[in-house]
Amino acid sequence: MAEENAQQQSYGGGGGPRSSGPGGGSGGRPGGPAKRGKRNFVRKKKVCRFCVDKADFIDYKKAEILAPFIQERGKILPRRMTGTCARHQRWLTVAIKRAQNIALLPFAAEL
Amino acid sequence: MEERLYDLIFILRPDTPEADIDKVISTLEHAATEKGGKIDSVNKWGRKRMAYRVQKLREGYFVYMVIRSSHGEVVKELERRLKVSDPVIKYLTVRLDEELKRQDKLKRHRERRAARRPRKTVPPAPAMPGAEQPAAPTA
Repeated sequence: MAEENAQQQSYGGGGGPRSSGPGGGSGGRPGGPAKRGKRNFVRKKKVCRFCVDKADFIDYKKAEILAPFIQERGKILPRRMTGTCARHQRWLTVAIKRAQNIALLPFAAEL
Repeated sequence: MEERLYDLIFILRPDTPEADIDKVISTLEHAATEKGGKIDSVNKWGRKRMAYRVQKLREGYFVYMVIRSSHGEVVKELERRLKVSDPVIKYLTVRLDEELKRQDKLKRHRERRAARRPRKTVPPAPAMPGAEQPAAPTA
Protein backbone atom coordinates (compact mmCIF):
# COMPACT_ATOMS: atom_id res chain seq x y z
CA MET A 1 0.00 0.00 0.00
CA ALA A 2 2.73 2.37 0.93
CA GLU A 3 4.43 1.79 -2.36
CA GLU A 4 1.29 2.54 -4.24
CA ASN A 5 1.02 5.78 -2.39
CA ALA A 6 4.54 6.73 -3.24
CA GLN A 7 3.90 6.00 -6.87
CA GLN A 8 0.86 8.18 -6.87
CA GLN A 9 2.82 11.00 -5.41
CA SER A 10 5.58 10.64 -7.92
CA TYR A 11 3.05 10.67 -10.75
CA GLY A 12 1.61 13.85 -9.41
CA GLY A 13 5.00 15.49 -9.15
CA GLY A 14 6.86 14.18 -12.19
CA GLY A 15 3.97 13.91 -14.60
CA GLY A 16 2.63 17.35 -13.89
CA PRO A 17 3.11 18.92 -17.29
CA ARG A 18 2.21 15.72 -19.12
CA SER A 19 -1.11 15.01 -17.46
CA SER A 20 -2.25 18.58 -17.20
CA GLY A 21 -5.19 17.90 -19.53
CA PRO A 22 -7.60 15.14 -18.57
CA GLY A 23 -5.56 13.52 -15.82
CA GLY A 24 -6.17 16.15 -13.17
CA GLY A 25 -9.91 15.66 -12.93
CA SER A 26 -9.95 11.96 -12.19
CA GLY A 27 -8.79 12.53 -8.65
CA GLY A 28 -5.77 10.27 -8.95
CA ARG A 29 -7.57 7.09 -7.98
CA PRO A 30 -5.40 4.02 -8.11
CA GLY A 31 -8.38 1.80 -9.01
CA GLY A 32 -7.73 1.77 -12.72
CA PRO A 33 -7.79 3.89 -15.84
CA ALA A 34 -11.01 5.85 -16.25
CA LYS A 35 -12.52 5.19 -19.65
CA ARG A 36 -13.93 7.90 -21.82
CA GLY A 37 -17.63 8.52 -21.36
CA LYS A 38 -18.99 5.98 -18.96
CA ARG A 39 -16.77 5.41 -16.00
CA ASN A 40 -16.50 1.74 -15.39
CA PHE A 41 -13.98 0.96 -12.75
CA VAL A 42 -12.98 -2.60 -12.35
CA ARG A 43 -12.09 -2.58 -8.72
CA LYS A 44 -10.95 -5.75 -7.09
CA LYS A 45 -12.72 -6.47 -3.84
CA LYS A 46 -10.21 -6.20 -1.08
CA VAL A 47 -10.30 -8.86 1.57
CA CYS A 48 -9.25 -8.39 5.16
CA ARG A 49 -5.89 -10.07 5.54
CA PHE A 50 -6.51 -10.97 9.13
CA CYS A 51 -9.82 -12.64 8.30
CA VAL A 52 -8.08 -14.73 5.68
CA ASP A 53 -5.55 -15.84 8.27
CA LYS A 54 -8.35 -16.27 10.82
CA ALA A 55 -6.49 -14.12 13.30
CA ASP A 56 -8.01 -13.93 16.77
CA PHE A 57 -5.28 -11.71 18.04
CA ILE A 58 -2.92 -9.23 16.45
CA ASP A 59 0.45 -9.34 18.12
CA TYR A 60 1.99 -5.95 18.76
CA LYS A 61 5.40 -7.58 19.10
CA LYS A 62 5.55 -8.58 15.45
CA ALA A 63 6.42 -5.30 13.85
CA GLU A 64 6.88 -6.91 10.43
CA ILE A 65 3.19 -7.86 10.38
CA LEU A 66 2.09 -4.36 11.31
CA ALA A 67 4.50 -2.53 9.04
CA PRO A 68 2.41 -2.84 5.82
CA PHE A 69 -0.42 -1.00 7.55
CA ILE A 70 1.41 2.23 8.15
CA GLN A 71 2.51 4.88 5.71
CA GLU A 72 6.12 5.87 5.31
CA ARG A 73 5.43 8.86 7.48
CA GLY A 74 4.19 6.60 10.24
CA LYS A 75 0.46 7.14 9.88
CA ILE A 76 -1.91 4.23 10.21
CA LEU A 77 -3.52 3.42 6.88
CA PRO A 78 -7.31 3.71 6.76
CA ARG A 79 -9.53 0.72 6.20
CA ARG A 80 -10.53 1.87 2.74
CA MET A 81 -6.93 1.53 1.61
CA THR A 82 -6.10 -1.82 3.11
CA GLY A 83 -9.46 -3.58 3.05
CA THR A 84 -9.17 -4.61 6.68
CA CYS A 85 -12.52 -5.38 8.31
CA ALA A 86 -13.79 -3.15 11.11
CA ARG A 87 -13.03 -5.54 13.91
CA HIS A 88 -9.51 -6.28 12.80
CA GLN A 89 -8.78 -2.64 12.11
CA ARG A 90 -9.76 -1.92 15.69
CA TRP A 91 -7.34 -4.51 16.98
CA LEU A 92 -4.73 -3.40 14.51
CA THR A 93 -4.75 0.20 15.72
CA VAL A 94 -4.25 -0.93 19.29
CA ALA A 95 -1.40 -3.21 18.25
CA ILE A 96 0.28 -0.48 16.20
CA LYS A 97 0.02 2.01 19.04
CA ARG A 98 1.56 -0.45 21.46
CA ALA A 99 4.37 -1.17 19.06
CA GLN A 100 5.00 2.55 18.72
CA ASN A 101 5.32 2.90 22.46
CA ILE A 102 8.09 0.37 22.67
CA ALA A 103 9.95 1.72 19.66
CA LEU A 104 9.15 -1.16 17.34
CA LEU A 105 7.32 1.17 14.98
CA PRO A 106 7.86 4.87 14.45
CA PHE A 107 5.41 7.55 15.55
CA ALA A 108 6.61 9.66 12.67
CA ALA A 109 9.34 9.14 10.15
CA GLU A 110 12.66 10.68 11.05
CA LEU A 111 14.39 13.00 8.68
CA MET B 1 -8.79 -13.39 42.53
CA GLU B 2 -8.05 -14.68 39.17
CA GLU B 3 -4.57 -14.58 37.81
CA ARG B 4 -3.44 -11.90 35.42
CA LEU B 5 -0.96 -12.22 32.63
CA TYR B 6 1.33 -9.42 31.60
CA ASP B 7 3.84 -8.81 28.88
CA LEU B 8 6.79 -6.74 29.92
CA ILE B 9 9.28 -5.43 27.40
CA PHE B 10 12.15 -3.22 28.34
CA ILE B 11 15.02 -1.73 26.41
CA LEU B 12 18.51 -1.34 27.79
CA ARG B 13 21.33 0.80 26.54
CA PRO B 14 23.10 -1.10 23.78
CA ASP B 15 26.48 -0.74 25.48
CA THR B 16 25.33 -2.50 28.65
CA PRO B 17 27.63 -5.43 29.45
CA GLU B 18 26.05 -8.88 29.47
CA ALA B 19 26.60 -9.22 33.20
CA ASP B 20 24.61 -6.09 33.91
CA ILE B 21 21.74 -7.29 31.76
CA ASP B 22 21.55 -10.49 33.75
CA LYS B 23 21.71 -8.49 36.93
CA VAL B 24 18.75 -6.36 35.92
CA ILE B 25 16.75 -9.44 35.01
CA SER B 26 17.56 -11.23 38.24
CA THR B 27 16.64 -8.23 40.38
CA LEU B 28 13.32 -8.03 38.57
CA GLU B 29 12.73 -11.72 39.13
CA HIS B 30 13.53 -11.27 42.76
CA ALA B 31 11.20 -8.32 43.12
CA ALA B 32 8.40 -10.18 41.37
CA THR B 33 8.58 -13.24 43.61
CA GLU B 34 8.79 -11.01 46.66
CA LYS B 35 5.49 -9.40 45.74
CA GLY B 36 3.83 -12.72 45.04
CA GLY B 37 4.13 -12.73 41.27
CA LYS B 38 5.94 -15.09 38.98
CA ILE B 39 8.01 -14.58 35.87
CA ASP B 40 7.03 -17.20 33.36
CA SER B 41 9.63 -16.64 30.74
CA VAL B 42 12.46 -14.31 29.89
CA ASN B 43 13.42 -13.84 26.30
CA LYS B 44 16.36 -11.72 25.24
CA TRP B 45 15.74 -10.33 21.80
CA GLY B 46 19.17 -8.79 21.79
CA ARG B 47 20.35 -5.65 20.08
CA LYS B 48 17.80 -4.21 17.73
CA ARG B 49 17.38 -0.97 15.90
CA MET B 50 14.69 1.16 17.45
CA ALA B 51 12.12 2.84 15.25
CA TYR B 52 13.03 6.23 16.62
CA ARG B 53 15.73 7.75 18.77
CA VAL B 54 15.43 7.36 22.52
CA GLN B 55 17.84 9.34 24.65
CA LYS B 56 19.82 9.97 21.49
CA LEU B 57 20.31 6.25 20.96
CA ARG B 58 19.31 4.46 17.79
CA GLU B 59 19.78 0.92 19.04
CA GLY B 60 18.75 -0.88 22.16
CA TYR B 61 18.95 -4.23 23.85
CA PHE B 62 15.41 -5.64 24.04
CA VAL B 63 14.28 -8.00 26.77
CA TYR B 64 10.84 -9.56 26.77
CA MET B 65 9.26 -11.33 29.72
CA VAL B 66 5.89 -12.76 30.66
CA ILE B 67 4.65 -12.16 34.18
CA ARG B 68 1.89 -13.85 36.09
CA SER B 69 0.35 -12.32 39.18
CA SER B 70 -2.95 -12.01 40.93
CA HIS B 71 -2.79 -8.28 41.65
CA GLY B 72 -1.27 -5.15 40.20
CA GLU B 73 1.26 -4.56 42.93
CA VAL B 74 3.85 -6.65 41.13
CA VAL B 75 3.67 -4.55 38.01
CA LYS B 76 3.84 -1.38 40.04
CA GLU B 77 6.99 -2.52 41.77
CA LEU B 78 8.62 -3.76 38.57
CA GLU B 79 7.89 -0.52 36.77
CA ARG B 80 9.28 1.47 39.67
CA ARG B 81 12.47 -0.52 39.53
CA LEU B 82 12.75 -0.14 35.78
CA LYS B 83 12.26 3.58 36.12
CA VAL B 84 15.10 4.03 38.59
CA SER B 85 17.40 1.56 36.88
CA ASP B 86 20.04 3.43 34.90
CA PRO B 87 20.66 1.18 31.88
CA VAL B 88 16.93 0.92 31.13
CA ILE B 89 15.84 3.47 28.55
CA LYS B 90 12.28 2.32 27.86
CA TYR B 91 9.76 -0.19 29.12
CA LEU B 92 6.19 -1.25 28.42
CA THR B 93 3.80 -3.48 30.32
CA VAL B 94 0.71 -4.84 28.64
CA ARG B 95 -2.01 -6.81 30.35
CA LEU B 96 -2.85 -9.75 28.17
CA ASP B 97 -5.20 -12.12 29.98
CA GLU B 98 -8.37 -10.41 28.82
CA GLU B 99 -7.28 -10.49 25.23
CA LEU B 100 -6.39 -14.13 25.55
CA LYS B 101 -9.81 -14.79 27.00
CA ARG B 102 -11.40 -13.08 24.02
CA GLN B 103 -9.16 -15.07 21.71
CA ASP B 104 -10.29 -18.30 23.34
CA LYS B 105 -13.89 -17.34 23.02
CA LEU B 106 -13.54 -16.58 19.33
CA LYS B 107 -11.73 -19.80 18.73
CA ARG B 108 -14.40 -21.83 20.46
CA HIS B 109 -17.06 -19.98 18.52
CA ARG B 110 -15.38 -20.76 15.24
CA GLU B 111 -14.89 -24.40 16.11
CA ARG B 112 -18.54 -24.74 16.93
CA ARG B 113 -19.48 -23.17 13.63
CA ALA B 114 -17.03 -25.33 11.76
CA ALA B 115 -18.48 -28.40 13.43
CA ARG B 116 -21.98 -27.42 12.40
CA ARG B 117 -21.28 -26.42 8.84
CA PRO B 118 -20.25 -29.79 7.34
CA ARG B 119 -23.58 -31.32 8.33
CA LYS B 120 -25.39 -28.65 6.39
CA THR B 121 -23.29 -28.70 3.25
CA VAL B 122 -22.55 -32.40 2.93
CA PRO B 123 -26.08 -33.73 2.24
CA PRO B 124 -26.65 -31.62 -0.89
CA ALA B 125 -23.31 -32.60 -2.36
CA PRO B 126 -24.03 -36.32 -2.98
CA ALA B 127 -27.55 -35.49 -4.13
CA MET B 128 -26.19 -33.07 -6.74
CA PRO B 129 -25.87 -35.35 -9.79
CA GLY B 130 -29.41 -36.65 -9.41
CA ALA B 131 -31.00 -33.39 -8.48
CA GLU B 132 -29.33 -31.38 -11.16
CA GLN B 133 -31.18 -32.82 -14.15
CA PRO B 134 -34.72 -32.51 -12.86
CA ALA B 135 -33.93 -29.01 -11.68
CA ALA B 136 -32.70 -27.81 -15.05
CA PRO B 137 -36.03 -27.84 -16.97
CA THR B 138 -37.85 -25.98 -14.25
CA ALA B 139 -35.26 -23.25 -14.35
